[in-house]
Amino acid sequence: MAATADLAFEDLDDDEREAVRTLLFRLADDEYVTAERYTEWQVRAPTLESDLALANIAQDELGHARLWYDLLEDFGSEERELVWERPPEAWHHATLAELPYEEGGWADAVLRSYLYDVAEDLRLAAVEGSTYTRLRDRVETVENEEDYHLEHAQNWLERLVDADAGHDRVQAALDRLFPYALTLFAPADPEVEARIDELGLRDRTLSELRRDWLDRVVPYLESLGLDVPDPGDTDLPSAVGRDGEHTDHWNDLHEEFTRTYRDLDRQGTVRIMPDPDDT
Amino acid sequence: MDIAEVRDRAGPREFNAGDDMPEEYREAATRMIQFHANSEIMGAYLERPFVRQAPSLDRKLAFSAKVQDEIGHGQLLYRAAESLGVKTRDEMLDELANGEGKFLNCFHYPMDSWAETPMIAFFVDGAAMRRQATLKSSSWEPYAHAMDKVCFEEGFHVKHGEDILRELMNGSRKEQRMVQDAFDEWWPRIVQFFGPTDDDSTHHGFAEEVGLKQMTNDQLRSAFLNAYVPKAEQYGLEIPEYPRIEERDDGTYEVRESDLDWDEFFAIAKNDYEPGVGQIDGRARTQEAVEWVRGVLDEREQAAGTTAAAAD
Amino acid sequence: MIWEVFRQEAAGDYHTHCGNVHAPDREMAKQFAVIQHGRRKPAHSLWVVPQDEVAEVDEDEADFGGSTDKSYRWAMTYNDVEPAAREVADSEAEQAEAGADRGDS
Repeated sequence: MAATADLAFEDLDDDEREAVRTLLFRLADDEYVTAERYTEWQVRAPTLESDLALANIAQDELGHARLWYDLLEDFGSEERELVWERPPEAWHHATLAELPYEEGGWADAVLRSYLYDVAEDLRLAAVEGSTYTRLRDRVETVENEEDYHLEHAQNWLERLVDADAGHDRVQAALDRLFPYALTLFAPADPEVEARIDELGLRDRTLSELRRDWLDRVVPYLESLGLDVPDPGDTDLPSAVGRDGEHTDHWNDLHEEFTRTYRDLDRQGTVRIMPDPDDT
Repeated sequence: MDIAEVRDRAGPREFNAGDDMPEEYREAATRMIQFHANSEIMGAYLERPFVRQAPSLDRKLAFSAKVQDEIGHGQLLYRAAESLGVKTRDEMLDELANGEGKFLNCFHYPMDSWAETPMIAFFVDGAAMRRQATLKSSSWEPYAHAMDKVCFEEGFHVKHGEDILRELMNGSRKEQRMVQDAFDEWWPRIVQFFGPTDDDSTHHGFAEEVGLKQMTNDQLRSAFLNAYVPKAEQYGLEIPEYPRIEERDDGTYEVRESDLDWDEFFAIAKNDYEPGVGQIDGRARTQEAVEWVRGVLDEREQAAGTTAAAAD
Repeated sequence: MIWEVFRQEAAGDYHTHCGNVHAPDREMAKQFAVIQHGRRKPAHSLWVVPQDEVAEVDEDEADFGGSTDKSYRWAMTYNDVEPAAREVADSEAEQAEAGADRGDS
């Protein structure tokens, strides 16, 4: 642990800025892509009430992405460059976020949400005391909305595993998703990761976060009667996302959400809401 | 209560589930509210791809919130319909899936590009809101209560839709042209939103007599045109020549209905129009795929019911 | 046993919570509620509900309406357009009032 002082953008040299950017892109991209997938459940969820709830979670996550992208604007980029014109290989979300749901894959949706939300909970706790003040100042706002997400996922999981039809589907989703969930803790570039830790941008390393995560999700999932793959025996998928390598699904998704922007030859984006710094 | 008494008492918010309503009232009200509820769902179905295709973060958030609200309106309306005791929500959703459930003409057409979104998000929603504002005085209290919340939320939808229209019409020539093309295509459907004039409207007489609806199709359409034609013109949209619309001396509008395609309209009304059928089936397929989840919930509810009964 | 009482003042109004009564069963609860909560203020109908059956979630537990900016949900945010019709303006006014009640700026 090196820095104890409050760090602002101006205080940082290029290497340090790269560390902050890496951390912020990871937060932003994970939230954004997770939300894109959640919105697929709009008008498709099992009941009207569950449709409303998941749509809200999607909006929460998009709102969080918006806050993190806004911090990246300090580095001289605008929303158009950060989202709409950024090529797919320059996105750094974990590949867990980009996988499509199978039709009717509600078990996947709630399990993925659980796996992700626990990681999110730990990751946010690790930046509550970040030396980068602009990040630290926004953590609580985001955390306030995450509690509901985790409870929502757990409530569903507990009910689904209670029925045979549900249990088998959750187990199948777990077998499929578990290796991808581990990509949440994959380093982008070990050197940059070390810099993130040295600068005190977060107070837990990725491998510590991975261990904390396993300590929480494994006993919980086992308590639901699920067989959790042995993390020691689990290979990461070939595309982890953090280094810009993604599955083909990501190219399709990227193509879809940038379609209007491209079709209309847009060169900028419209803001409806005030800048987060002005609220 | 007999029909004569219903007619006699039929004021705003007069009747609710505690009243012994005649079969004829309950069926007419169910038909009307179920149609309204189905329309919320099928409108949301049509707009949902644009959550993904919205061209900015804020627009994406707003579109998601809008589609979410429409599903919420469906929830409110199916409950209002259910309270009549004729059909359960599950039955009504099954009818929507199997093609028996009817819904608004505009939601039977496909929507392919962002430039089309204001056609529904501004014009159709604006037309719907005009009608919904009058339904706050419906004689079926649960329906009127649902309208309170729907109208409360709907101001966001219409302004959001107008804001997209404003943005596009202040955008590039290409964007303006795309919107005008969309408008040319959608305008006759929007004019048909309120249905044929009252002479041809089959269910209107009874619904008005028992206070389920408050204004005639013609009055509603006139009020809509009064507010929305100037808006379209303000943004530089050209009103298509057909259907011919003439202003009467009293400021209301006369639409030459013979200029509109009523064969298509009535085919749609019977769920016999191809794009609409595809949309009904498309929704049905995704709902069928999560039937297993509803099964799990039902099983749980029944088990809880058994436990509660055993405890009594 | 405690029963929560909701009073509707006139036909078409909403039932709003107005108090509760002690009673051993549903019939007695209704009888007591008629007197305790319906004898003076206008009443068109009462709902009487066992207190145990009322589930509560309060603001300590739930972050109602969220903590991030959700102004995209509100008509007032779209300042560049004038409401197209009276009902749109009415809706916006209701939303502005609700926003003020929620303590939004």
